[in-house]
Amino acid sequence: MGAYLYFSSVLEFVRAKRLIPWLLLAVAGMGLAAAWPYLNRQADRTDQYTTVSAMLVFHVLALASAIYSLSIVSQEVEQKTIVYLLTRPVPRWKLLLARYFASASVVALLGILGAVLVSVGVYKGGAFANPLLGKDIVALIFGAFAYGALFLLVSLLLNRAMIICLLFAFGWETIVPNMPGEMYRLSVYTHVMAIADHPSSQTTPGPVSIASGSLTASTLTPGAAYVTLLVLAVVLLAMSAAWFTHFEYVPREDAE
Amino acid sequence: MIVLDRASRWYGQVIGLNDVSAEIGPGLTALLGMNGAGKSTMLRMITGQIRPTTGNVTVFGMEPFANADVYRRIGYCPEIDNFYEHMTGRRFVYHLARLAEFGHEDARRRTEEVLHTVGMADRADRKIAGYSKGMRQRIKLAQAMLHNPDVILLDEPLNGLDPVGRHEYIQMLHQLALHGKTILVSSHILYEVEQMTSALLLLHRGRLLATGDLRVIRSFIDKHPHKIRVETTEPRRAAALLAGLPNVVSLSFAPGGEALQLEVNGPNEFYDSLMSISLAESLPIRGLSSPDNNLESVFKYLVEK
Repeated sequence: MGAYLYFSSVLEFVRAKRLIPWLLLAVAGMGLAAAWPYLNRQADRTDQYTTVSAMLVFHVLALASAIYSLSIVSQEVEQKTIVYLLTRPVPRWKLLLARYFASASVVALLGILGAVLVSVGVYKGGAFANPLLGKDIVALIFGAFAYGALFLLVSLLLNRAMIICLLFAFGWETIVPNMPGEMYRLSVYTHVMAIADHPSSQTTPGPVSIASGSLTASTLTPGAAYVTLLVLAVVLLAMSAAWFTHFEYVPREDAE
Repeated sequence: MIVLDRASRWYGQVIGLNDVSAEIGPGLTALLGMNGAGKSTMLRMITGQIRPTTGNVTVFGMEPFANADVYRRIGYCPEIDNFYEHMTGRRFVYHLARLAEFGHEDARRRTEEVLHTVGMADRADRKIAGYSKGMRQRIKLAQAMLHNPDVILLDEPLNGLDPVGRHEYIQMLHQLALHGKTILVSSHILYEVEQMTSALLLLHRGRLLATGDLRVIRSFIDKHPHKIRVETTEPRRAAALLAGLPNVVSLSFAPGGEALQLEVNGPNEFYDSLMSISLAESLPIRGLSSPDNNLESVFKYLVEK
C-alpha cells in the first residue's frame, strides 16, 4: 500500500504539465552558466558554477518545493478530490507521508537535474568531473526534504499557504542568509549551502552575491547542517502527520 | 448499523445539523431535504470526514472520523462533481481500488467488475474530463462499490442522469438492498425518492423532521386540502361541473382565464371523479398540476403540524 501510494503520487507529480516549466528553467540555468564568462570575465569555472547554481538551482529548489508541497494536501482540498483519499482505509499519516516523500523526491530530482545542467553549461562534456557536483546533489536532496516538510506544515495550517510559502522562498531565503550576525542560521538555504560546501566566491559584493546568499560569511559546518535539516524535517513531518490525522479537511466552501 | 445520537454540527455561527438522532439499518433509506437542509453534512459525519460538534455518530459501533476500519465497510459517492480529470475512468477506479487495499490483480479485476455493473466498461478508457454528467455519476458509483461495502452512502446520485439512467440506477440500488446492504441515498426531489423507497429521513433546516414510511406521511398530507390546478378551454363549464363534487373545498378562476384553482380533500378521489366527469361530459382538460405535490408542501405540512 505504502509503495503504491508513493509511486502513484510520483507519477502524478511528474505529469508533463507540471514538469515542463521546471525543465525549461533547468535548461535556462544551463544557458546562463554557459553565458556566464561573457557576463563576468574574471570568473573561473568554479566561480561560474557556484554562482549560477547558488542563484538558480538552490533558490529555485525552495520555489519548486513550495509548489509541490502544496500539491500534497492543499491542492486536493482546493480541487475537492480530497474526499476520495480520506474515505479510503488508508491511515491519514501514511497517506500524507507517502505523498510527501513522492513530492520531495521529485523536487530533489528536479534540483539534481538543474545542478547537472548548470555543470554541463560550465564544464561541457566534463560535467560529471565537476568536483562540487557530488556534494551539491546531497545538499539538494537534504534541502528538498527539509523545505518540503516546512511547506507541508504551512500548507496544513494556513488557508492561503501559497503566498506565505512564496514569500518565504523568495523573501526570507534571500534576505536572511545575507543578514549580519548569526541571523543567517535561521535560513534553510544557509544550511543547504553549508552541506554543498562551496568555496568562497571571487565575486565582489553586489546583486549577484546577494542573490547567491554569499554576502555574510557562514561558519556553519556541513555536519551541523546535516543534523539541523534532518531534525527539522523529522519534527515538522511529525507535526504535520499529527495535525492531518486530527483535523478535518473538507473543501472550504463546503465547510462554511 | 449507523447511529446518530443527538448529533449537531455547527459551521461557525451557522448550524448544519441540529440535534439529530436516528438509526439506519439494512435496506434502502432516503435522506430527503431541500438544498441546505443538512443532508451532505449528515453524510460527511457518517463517512467520518467531519466530526459532530455535539452528540455522537457511530457506524458499526465505531466512531467514523479518520477510522480505516469503518472505511473498509462503507462506500461513499459524494455529491461533488470533481475528479482527477486527467485520468481515464478506468484508471480512476483502479487507483481508488488500490487505495481500498486491493493488490494489482485484484484491483484490476474488481475495477472491471464494477465498471461493468455501472455500464461504463466500454467507455472507461476516455479521460474523465470528456465525460457527460451521467457518466461521471456512474464512475462515482463504481468507486463507491469497489470493495463490496456493507454500507453505501450516495449523496444526490441521480443528478444529471437521464430517465433511462435513473431507472437503471434505482434498479441497481434495489438489487443491492435486496442483498442486505445498507443504502442511504440523499435527494431533494420527492418523486425521485418515492420511486426508490418508502423508508425515509426527512431533514429540514438541519433538523430531523420525520422518519419512517413515506406513504404514511403522504396519507397524512392527503387528509388536508390539496391545491390543484386544472387547465381547460371551458373553465366556466368545468367550474359548474366540479363545484358539486363532495371533496371540493374551494374553487376559483386562475388569472388569465383558462384554468381553475381548487382546494380538495382526498386528492386521489378527486382525480378519479375528474376523469369520469371529463369523459362523461366531454370536458377538455389541457393540463393538471398540483403545487402541493412537492417537497416544499411536505415540509410546510410537517412544520405547521
